[in-house]
Amino acid sequence: MKKQQATFIVILILFAFVLQAHADTPLQVVEVNVNKVLDVLRDPKLKAPSAKEIKTQKLRVIYKGMFNEIEFSKRTLARNWNQFNSTQRVEFVELFEQVLEKAYLDKILSYTDEKIEFYKEILHSDKQAEVQTKIITSSQEIPIFYRLILTDSTWKVYDVVVENVSLVQNYRTQFNDILAKNNPEYLLEILRKRVKEQ
Amino acid sequence: MKIFLILNAAYIFLFMGCAHTLSNYASTSVPLAESFKLKVALASSNTDKTISQATDKTAEMKKAGLDDGYDENDEYGDYYDDSAEGEKARIADPIEPFNRAMYHFNDKLYFWALKPVAQGYKFFVPEVARISVRNFFTNLRFPARFVSCVLQGDFNGAAAEAGRFAINTVWGIGGLMDPSSGKELNLQKQDTDLGQTLGVYGVGQGFYIVWPIFGPSTPRDSVTLIGNLFLYPVSYIEPFYVSWCIWAYEEINSTSLRIGDYESLKDAAIDPYVAMRDAYAQYRMNKIKERKLKIEKTVPQGDGGSAVEQKKPIE
Repeated sequence: MKKQQATFIVILILFAFVLQAHADTPLQVVEVNVNKVLDVLRDPKLKAPSAKEIKTQKLRVIYKGMFNEIEFSKRTLARNWNQFNSTQRVEFVELFEQVLEKAYLDKILSYTDEKIEFYKEILHSDKQAEVQTKIITSSQEIPIFYRLILTDSTWKVYDVVVENVSLVQNYRTQFNDILAKNNPEYLLEILRKRVKEQ
Repeated sequence: MKIFLILNAAYIFLFMGCAHTLSNYASTSVPLAESFKLKVALASSNTDKTISQATDKTAEMKKAGLDDGYDENDEYGDYYDDSAEGEKARIADPIEPFNRAMYHFNDKLYFWALKPVAQGYKFFVPEVARISVRNFFTNLRFPARFVSCVLQGDFNGAAAEAGRFAINTVWGIGGLMDPSSGKELNLQKQDTDLGQTLGVYGVGQGFYIVWPIFGPSTPRDSVTLIGNLFLYPVSYIEPFYVSWCIWAYEEINSTSLRIGDYESLKDAAIDPYVAMRDAYAQYRMNKIKERKLKIEKTVPQGDGGSAVEQKKPIE
C-alpha cells in the first residue's frame, strides 16, 4: 500500500514537470514575465521611494531572463555588427543594455494600476513569434508587441514594438546614421558618455 | 500495482521527451545566479563596472553566439527580409538642415510653451473632464474620418463612424462621452486620415518634412493638414482667431493627457531627430498596412489581389 502511495506521489511530481513544459509558449513567456514585473511594481512593501534601488534590481533580474540581449544588439546593428570585433561587441551589448535600462526604467517604475491584456500570439516560423499585448490606462490604450526568438529551447524577446514603432528598427536607423560616417569606436564612445550621465 | 508502474514509466518517458522542460528549469535558476552576481558587483564599489562585468560575461556570451557574424542568409537572421518585421520603413530626407531647424523649433515650443501651459491646466482640471473634452473634439473631427473611410472603400468603417457620430452626439451629450466604443455597441473609432487614404491607393510618402507647429509630415501626409481646413468644423468659425484659439485649446488638452511621452522618446534616443523621423516613418507605414489589410478583409476582391503586395502574418 505504501508503495502505491509512493508511486502516486512520483506520478504527481512528474505530472507537474510535464505541465511546466506546456507553460513555455511565447505568449506565456511574456505573460509570466510581465506579471512578475507588475508584482514588483505593485508590491506594497516596495512602495516607499527609498525602495527604488531594490525594485530596480528585481526588475533587472526579470528582464535579463526575458530578453535575448545579444540578438537585440545584433539586429540593431544589422550589417554593422560585422565591423565590430569581439571585445567591441561585448562592450556594445553591455552599454546598449544600460542605455535602454536608463531610458525605460523610470517609465516602467511609474506604472502601477494599468491593466495589461495579452490577446494574441502569432508564430512567424518555428523559431520566431510575436505576442501582442496592450496597456490600458485611464486615458489611452497603448499596443505593445513583443517579438520572440527560440534559442536553446526557450523563447526570449529580441524586439519590442510600441505603437507600431519597433525599438530595434528605431535604434538601427540611428546607429546606421552614425556608423555611415564614423567607426564603431565613435559609437561606443557616445554610448559610454550616455551611461556615465547617470 | 503493475498499472502504476506502467503509468510511471509512461510519465518518465513523457518527461524525458520534453527536453525543454529541463532547460526551462535551468532558465529560472539563471536569473537568481545573475542577481547574486549583480549584488556582488554592486557591493564591491568598482569604478569601471562596465568593463569588469563585460570581461566576466565574455565566456558566457561567446557561447550565446556573440562571435557569430551577422549573416544575412541566416536561417532566422535574414534581417532584411524578416517575416516579423515586414518591409522596412525608410524615408528620404533631402531637406535635413531645414528639418533639423524645425525640429529644434518645435522642441523648444513644446518645452517652453505647450508643456508648462498643459501642466498648469492639468493641475486644475481633473482627468475625467480632460478625457471628456478630448472625446468632444474627437467627435467633432468625425467628417475627416468618415470621408477617408468612404474614399478608401471601407464602408464598414464609414458606417461605424456615422453610427458613432449619431450615438455619441445624442447619447454622449454632444460627444463629451463615448458610449459607442463600449462593449455593447463596440463601434470603434476609425483612426484614419486623408494621407493614409492616398497611401492605401499606393501614393508614396515622398520625403520627410518637419512643419513648424504641426511637426513631422511628408508631402502626402500634408494633404491631411489641408483637408482638415475643409473637413474640420472648427476651421469654419469666424473670426479666424477664435478658431485658432479653439484649436490651441484642443492641443493643450490632448497634450495634458500625454505629458511625458515625448520626453521619454527623446531621452531614450541617441539622436532624437533621427529617432523621431524613423518612428514617424514606421508609424505611418504600419498604419497604412493595417488599413489595407482591413479593407482586404471586408471587401471581397476579384482578381485585384496581386495588386496589394504585402506579407500577411501567418496565424
